Order: sequence, then structure tokens, then C-alpha cells
Amino acid sequence: MDSSALPSDLPTIAIVGSGPSGCYTAQFLRKQWQGSEIVIFDRLDVPYGLVRYGVAPDHPGTKAVTKQFDRLFEQAGVRFAGRTLIGSAASRGDFTLDQLRAAFDIVVLATGLHADRSLSSPLAVVPGSDLPGVYGAGRLTRLINGHPDETVDGVRLGERVVIVGHGNVALDLLRLFLTAPEQLRELGIADDVVRAITAGPARQIDIVGRSQPETAKFDPAMLRELGKLAGIRFVSDAAPADLADITSSADSTSSADSTSSADSPNNAASPNNAASPNNAASPNNAASPNNAASANATRRDAVDALVAGSDPLATRTVRFRFGWVPDEITEHDQALHLTFRAAPATPDSDGSHGSDSTDSTDSTDGTDGTLSIAADAVCTAIGFTEHADAPLRRAHHESAEHLDLDRGVLGDGLYCVGWLRRGPRGTIPENRVDARMVANCIIADHTARLPHGTKPGYAVLARAADTTTLHHLIEELS
Amino acid sequence: MTRTIILFGTESGNAEMVAEDLASELGGDPIAVVADMTDFDIADFTPTDAYIVVCSTHGDGELPSGARPLFDALQEAQPSLAGIRYSIFGLGDRSYETYSHGSEIIDEQLRSLGAERVGVYGRHDASDGSLPNDDALEWMRAVFIPA
Repeated sequence: MDSSALPSDLPTIAIVGSGPSGCYTAQFLRKQWQGSEIVIFDRLDVPYGLVRYGVAPDHPGTKAVTKQFDRLFEQAGVRFAGRTLIGSAASRGDFTLDQLRAAFDIVVLATGLHADRSLSSPLAVVPGSDLPGVYGAGRLTRLINGHPDETVDGVRLGERVVIVGHGNVALDLLRLFLTAPEQLRELGIADDVVRAITAGPARQIDIVGRSQPETAKFDPAMLRELGKLAGIRFVSDAAPADLADITSSADSTSSADSTSSADSPNNAASPNNAASPNNAASPNNAASPNNAASANATRRDAVDALVAGSDPLATRTVRFRFGWVPDEITEHDQALHLTFRAAPATPDSDGSHGSDSTDSTDSTDGTDGTLSIAADAVCTAIGFTEHADAPLRRAHHESAEHLDLDRGVLGDGLYCVGWLRRGPRGTIPENRVDARMVANCIIADHTARLPHGTKPGYAVLARAADTTTLHHLIEELS
Repeated sequence: MTRTIILFGTESGNAEMVAEDLASELGGDPIAVVADMTDFDIADFTPTDAYIVVCSTHGDGELPSGARPLFDALQEAQPSLAGIRYSIFGLGDRSYETYSHGSEIIDEQLRSLGAERVGVYGRHDASDGSLPNDDALEWMRAVFIPA
């Protein structure tokens, strides 16, 4: 502990949201200011947000980070305030953000991005994207992880499932859909949820994305994990690496300079692009251009290896479809019918589709550059966005005078971190990097600000029997 | 004074937590000092200090981002680490083929520069959701002799 910091110099800190970004921010701030009061608010009874409700239950190694955070809450001065909604208006929340800012020297918003991004956007309308039977990945992973807001009512996967998206969340869903019901129950998934996701069970899963394997967003390690599942036949419509040699060798040179994946129009338009300018600017980013090129090749190799190593006679089939953009979903004859068009070719891809198998499927890969698939259920895993009804919308709290999103600054003493700050990109470790950066900015700002630590903190909130008396209490105590 | 420097390379913070536990088991500052591979100055390697390296694995068997600055600095400067003695504990997840590989990258580099590895290579497998801390403490009590 820095002995020069007198207790009165220590700021009181409120963090809204107890997911990884909020907890890491608390961890870094506590390292600097041991003994300071840090209160982490969450609208739910239990902490840890996406670690609890987003990480797949068969990845306990990833979930183990919560044990680190358990320790955080054991430390003096650090408190979890669950079942406490922080809203913009008094009617919405247990406390308003203004009340929090009056009570604490530093307030950090770490509320994440809750809503599933829709297939349809104002710029690219996809009719049918809200039909029954189309489920967002966030909703499904919350359901699978027992989130109190989700209900299994109306959720039922059939024999034919389409997953749209090629990120790690899409692969999590794919893997869980292929897992035997008894194993899912062993993972602690509720019985009615297991029945809903294994209804059918899925025998034909198409996993469709706009990128080619090189530029898809999944981690190769996640793909290799799929290879351990027995009784699955994997097929890919991307040309295998040996046929795509000319393209991929051009990639490895070009992506080292001007035509890296971040420059391709497809990727630039995607809000959950892992190679965004923000991430590229991160000092800890391991994805230097050279690494990116080799990671791209590794990704294609992983697809090829998965396909080559799978059982050609298995009765359940997973088809990876690369380079397709959704056009429309219609419903007739008790099925959903998806139409995709070929994604425009990018410098990273030849946009071509290798020959698919010729056996009977409920899909046609037309020579006219469209793909049609019939399905019983559609899962979209194309990223997350702010919920229109979120209790706190970031844009409503940006002060023109102070706003500096690169440092996480929203207003005087008000900050944002993690997905709320930089968008729905990156895994738990990347949000740790983000939390460290924002924590360092908070520390620098607070050190420059005089007088230090003047606001009373949690006691004043706890003493307020109702929020109408809160402002008087705050005035009294400060 | 002889010290033990516990160098950690982390991605999610678990290796740092392990390093902190090992340091307090040894009696804490100034006898045992925790150092992040992100900030560690390679000029500070001292033969009279003992080193414990705690390093996780990232993604596809890569170094965790927190270990990269030290790795890059060593790669660049190629200093002689003759006389440096270290023990190493790797974190990983056996669900992946590249289990614990991140620590092996650092281990190989330290040895190639002349440092000497002492004791059994410690490892923890997180695939069952367990924390590495207890395994690491047990490992340290068994193999590590402070300088």
C-alpha cells in the first residue's frame, strides 16, 4: 500500500455491472487504492454477468475466472450490491445514475451490450428475421446458463438448424447442440432447456457466415474442439487450402501491408469485427500483421482438418458455409426457408465455393450465387448491441465537455469500460486489457483532481429508506 | 539481499493471482516480489535472485499477451542469462491440444539464453474449472528452494 495515500484521499467508487469488465476494473482500481470503498452494482442477485450467463457451461476453465473475482469481493472495502438496478430516471431504477454520481467520487458503467444484433438492419433489411423460430445467440446462451430473465417457452430446435455467424459464440452453440442430452444435464443445464435444444435432435446443422475461413472470427482451437465430438460428419463449402493456394499465398503477403482483413469492406462493416482499429491500437494486441496472416492460414487448415477427420458415414451432418450474406427468411410448409446471396469477393477471398457433396439435403447451392436452406430453427450469432430499453444508454450520459471514449471518459468522474465502451468485441482477457487501460485513466484523472475523495459512498445509499430522501442525505453528509 | 522474484505472464489474471499467493507463502515483499512480465526490465535479471515463472497459455498455444513484452525484449536483446536459476509453473487447459504450451515458449527462451531451470516443471490443468493456486503452492513447497 502506498503509505502516502491518507484514507481521506481515497475516492469512493461505484461500478455498474459485475461482468468481467466491471470486476477487472474494480481489481485494478483496488490495487491502486487499497482500502477505498468499491461498490459493484448489478440488477441481478448474483454477480459476473457474461462469465456466468454467456460463457458455455462446458468451458469451466473459462468460467474459473469468477474465482478470481470471488477473492475480490472478500477484500475489505469491496462490496457487491446485487438486485439493484441503476436507471436513468427514478421510476426505472432502484437508484438513478445521478444519485450514484452524487454519492460516489467515481462511477464506472460496465453494463455491456445485452441485445442480440438482428440479421436485419436499416441499411440491409432482411425480411423474416424476427419470425418465430429465429433465436438470438445471447438469448440461447442465457437460457442455457439459467439466466432468470429467460424462459424456454417457444424455444424448440428441430432436426434442421441453421446457425448464422462464424464467431466463437456460434461455435459454442453448435457444440452444445451436438452434445448428448445426458451430458448437457450433467453440465447443470435445466431439463426443460435440454429438451428444447435437443428436440429433433438436430441432424443437419448449417453454419453460415459471410467471411471465408481465413477471415472468419472463430478461434482455431474452438474448431479443433469440435473434432472431438463423435458421430458427426463435417462438410465445408470453401475450397480446401490446396485448391486455394494461389489466393492464400497472395493473402499472406498482402495482409502484411495494405490489404489486411480490417481493410476489407465486408469486415469493416461488421460491428463485431475482431480486427477493428480499436483492437489494433491496443498495445497488448498479439495480432500483428504477420501473426494475423499465419492465424488466417491456421484457421483454414483447422476447417480442412475438421472436415478430413470427420466420419463420412455419420448420420448427423454439420455444413460450414463460407461467404454468404442473408437475404430473406420466409415461413411456409411448417419450415423456415432462408435465402443467402454470395458475399462480394474481397481481397482476402476468392469468394468461390468448393463443390459440396451431392447427397440429398434440404438446401440448394445455386450456380446463380444464391443459397437456400430449409430449417426448423435459426440461431443468429452475429454480435451484440445496446438494448433499446437498456436502463442506461451510453449516449444519454455523454457530456460534450468531457467525452473521451478512447480513455473511457463519459463525463466528470463518469467512465465506461468493456463492451459498452468499445463495442461487442473480444473475449474475457481482452476486456481485462480494456479495464486496465480505463483504470489507469481513472487513476490519472483522480490524482489530478482536487480535492480528492469528498463523496460519502455507499452508506448514504443504504441509509436512504426511499430514493426521495436520498438527495437530502447526500447533501447532509458531503 | 537474496530475493525471490515471481514473474508472471497472464491473459485473464489467473497467473497473477497464483504469483501473489506464492509470494505471500514465501513471506511477501521484500523477500518475495511479484513482477509482471509486461513491465519487467530484462536488465534486472540478477544471478543472486531466485526466479519463479508463472505463465498461462493463450488461444492456440500462444504466449499470453502479458508475457509478450518480456519475450520480445529477450528476443531483441539476446542477453546472456548465464547464472540465472528459475523454476516454472505453467497454466493451461487440457481440453486443448496446446495445453500449457504458453509457459513452454518462455521456458525454451530462458534456457536458450543460458538460464538454468531448477526442479520439476509444474503444471495446472484448468479443464475441470479448478483454480491453479493450490496446485501451485503444493508444487512450490515440493520443488522450490529459495536462493
